[in-house]
Amino acid sequence: MKYLFFSFLSISLLSCSNEPAAIQYGFDQCNFCEMTIVDQSHAAVLVSKKGKTFKFDAIECMSRYLNRNENTEYSQLLVTDYLEPGVLISTESACFLISPEIPSPMGANLTAFGNRNECLIQKNENGGDLFSWDEIVSRFK
Amino acid sequence: MRFNLFLSLLISFSIHSYSKRIEVCPNCVFKSIKAGIEEATNGDVVIVSKADYFETNIIINKSIRLIGIDFPVVDGKNSKEEIFIIEADSVEISGFQIQNVAASHLKDLSGIRVRRRKNFSIEKNKFISTMYGIFLEKSSNGKLLDNTFNGGALDESSSGNGIHAWYCSDLLINGNKIFQHRDGIYFEFVTESVISNNTCEENLRYGLHFMFSNYDEYFDNVFSKNGAGVAVMFSKNINMYRNKFSENWGGASYGLLLKEIYDAEIKNNEFYKNTIGVRVEGSSRVTYENNDFIGNGWAMKIAGGCYDNYVSGNNFISNSFDLAMNTSSNNNKIEGNFWSDYSGYDLNRDGTGDVAHRPVKLFNYIVQQTPESVILLRSLFIDLINFSEKVSPIFTPENVIDNYPVMHQISRLP
Repeated sequence: MKYLFFSFLSISLLSCSNEPAAIQYGFDQCNFCEMTIVDQSHAAVLVSKKGKTFKFDAIECMSRYLNRNENTEYSQLLVTDYLEPGVLISTESACFLISPEIPSPMGANLTAFGNRNECLIQKNENGGDLFSWDEIVSRFK
Repeated sequence: MRFNLFLSLLISFSIHSYSKRIEVCPNCVFKSIKAGIEEATNGDVVIVSKADYFETNIIINKSIRLIGIDFPVVDGKNSKEEIFIIEADSVEISGFQIQNVAASHLKDLSGIRVRRRKNFSIEKNKFISTMYGIFLEKSSNGKLLDNTFNGGALDESSSGNGIHAWYCSDLLINGNKIFQHRDGIYFEFVTESVISNNTCEENLRYGLHFMFSNYDEYFDNVFSKNGAGVAVMFSKNINMYRNKFSENWGGASYGLLLKEIYDAEIKNNEFYKNTIGVRVEGSSRVTYENNDFIGNGWAMKIAGGCYDNYVSGNNFISNSFDLAMNTSSNNNKIEGNFWSDYSGYDLNRDGTGDVAHRPVKLFNYIVQQTPESVILLRSLFIDLINFSEKVSPIFTPENVIDNYPVMHQISRLP
């Protein structure tokens, strides 16, 4: 009986996770610009404190959404690693490159990479400038 | 007579010496398209006979005309390479069948790419299973005429657009047929361009898509059975005339989306059987005149932040909802339209109804709060509450009103 109780408890706790709902590419719409999300290398996700997932077709859309909805309470901000389409990483660990050689869905030429090394390699290859997430948020209002 | 003969010979010789013809075929001196282009100089014509050519990365860096006879096939064999890349001004490519360019996540691969050039002309080609059909980057003064595109895209995320233009100007896109791409035609930062007489069908996202593109015009096109018909976003001064938006059907689908649009004209279009005919957000100074809205779920759905729009002379016929508008009128003017569910009368017989028409219904308001309630549509209960709301409006915006509703369907001159 005791085990049963604990297993119920753990299941119910597990089901309340704060993990983002998966993006259905080609079906979901961006919460900021309304475009259907298709680009698997530029999508971004915001998970609210209550666990609701907001999806964006581009990183610049998530930044603009945050600036225009200032009292948004979020538990996670995630962006796509450009080199691993469909894989989401935290904005804290990501490094951002704005390079005209890599266009993004909303025209900002903004791309995220999983680590700073990769960022530098891509910067040397394509040109452009590197930014942190805070700089991105103050840049795209 | 002799003099004339001499003159014509002289002319033909001079033309001949000016532009030479280079023939490419499996039994010719030049067996590949690349070899033919290699031999050519500015102003020459390269004629390619019907055969299969397995070539990729064909770079055209001279001002030449490349003409296919009976649609020679240029096949990329899905090798993640592009087929033609134009890197010279004044290039023409016509009459080819260009096929099998694989989809890639990291690179936008295309059948024909034009890179920072002008005065190009791409005519009467067939594109089959190319990720992007034609990709124009930073190019101007180009003509894309009478091409067909069969993307064969099933999955939206790994597909590309039929015609993709990025930072371009002065384009003419006429008479193309585009099927099964991501967007049929995509304009990003494109100005002063014309899109006319094209057909975009069964594309996964949009038939036509504008982003940050100003002073463009599209007319006499057909957008049918796409994920959504046309999306015009973040653009100014776009004119839309005589297009047909039909059967763009599905949960969030629409014939035309306007998002942050200023100073546009939408005239003489037909919206037939779309879930939402026109969906408008944050758009101002837009004129809707002489359009037909027939058999749509919502004819027009206008969200907040829309100012100074003018809706006049339109026919609203057999739509489930004619107009959804959840804000007050915001200086938008609606007058002189025909509404098929207008129930007023015209005692002085001047063709204009004597009672004003309120196109926004109470049920509209309920559906916006609780979308599931749409199953009650056409029930007696809904008719009753709509009627009571009409008598004394409480929930629906009072000043969204057509004071001069037309009694008879407005006929369209051919």
